[in-house]
Amino acid sequence: MNVTFETATAATVARPQGRLDFGAAAGLQQQLEEVIAQKPAALVVDCAQLEYVSSAGLRVFLVAARAAKAASIPFVACGLQASVREVFDVSGFTRILEIHADTAAALAHLGTPAA
Amino acid sequence: MVNLIEELVLLTIDDDGSVAFTAGGSGFRMSAIGACLVELNNAGRIDADLDAVHVLSQEPVGHAAADRVLALVAAGPEKPVSQWVRQLAPISGEIVRLALGSLAQRGILTQQESRFLWVLKSRRYPLIDGAEQKEAKLRILSALLGDDLPTPHDTVLLGLARVGGVLEGFLSTAEIARLDDRIEKIGGIDLIAKGVEMALRDEQEQIARSFLAPIC
Repeated sequence: MNVTFETATAATVARPQGRLDFGAAAGLQQQLEEVIAQKPAALVVDCAQLEYVSSAGLRVFLVAARAAKAASIPFVACGLQASVREVFDVSGFTRILEIHADTAAALAHLGTPAA
Repeated sequence: MVNLIEELVLLTIDDDGSVAFTAGGSGFRMSAIGACLVELNNAGRIDADLDAVHVLSQEPVGHAAADRVLALVAAGPEKPVSQWVRQLAPISGEIVRLALGSLAQRGILTQQESRFLWVLKSRRYPLIDGAEQKEAKLRILSALLGDDLPTPHDTVLLGLARVGGVLEGFLSTAEIARLDDRIEKIGGIDLIAKGVEMALRDEQEQIARSFLAPIC
């Protein structure tokens, strides 16, 4: 799995691409934890290029959201593809995570206009 | 350190060492299988999505209960979590006995045989100091009573405890009702835990249909 990060003043946007399964979960979790440790103003995970999430991959979102909340960093996911959205819905993640249509909507929610 | 299935089993043990009736119920039997699947997922032996449980490795994890489930899942065709849970629920008694044996071996509880009404054999599992059971209860209570997001482990433990009817062992009906929104929100936020819920719901619907069929 490939992940790119874009850091602006008001938020860091993480863009995971491809499949988030057991093999990819630990790597993404570590990268998100490293970003959270840098105390960004907010963390947005843009899932537009994320094609698949398994049960192991899903836990990465919970661990990251928990770490962000503990550090008082707003944590937002956005751009979920239909198949990924279904996994979030079924597992109950849409009840605990802030989810927006795309990065622009996520940044607007955080009070930051999209670049 | 106790694993998820052992924690779930510990939560069914009453103060006198007897295993609560809950453990024989459909919900608990399915939760026990779900706990093994989550252990296997955490150990990288399986992964799961909405369509199927995928076996990644057949190498045993070293926990007899989870390894029994791994062997069965590896030997079968790929199918969704809910179908595996329903298929394997009949061996949950064996899974619970393996977990109890492991807990006894590590000095967390003891096994005592006795007779009820001089004839019926009865087995009890008194806890040595109860620390592990208290820890499991505290994890659930702190997840329920706090505002924080639970850890993946604690949300699964809470979700499986709810489906398994274990919460009733240490929370009153009124307390469970009061905490219902929070339980619903943070309990079992996990694909495998949801698969267990789905399996139980499917079974209940099937039973309801079989009762209603002669009427309709």
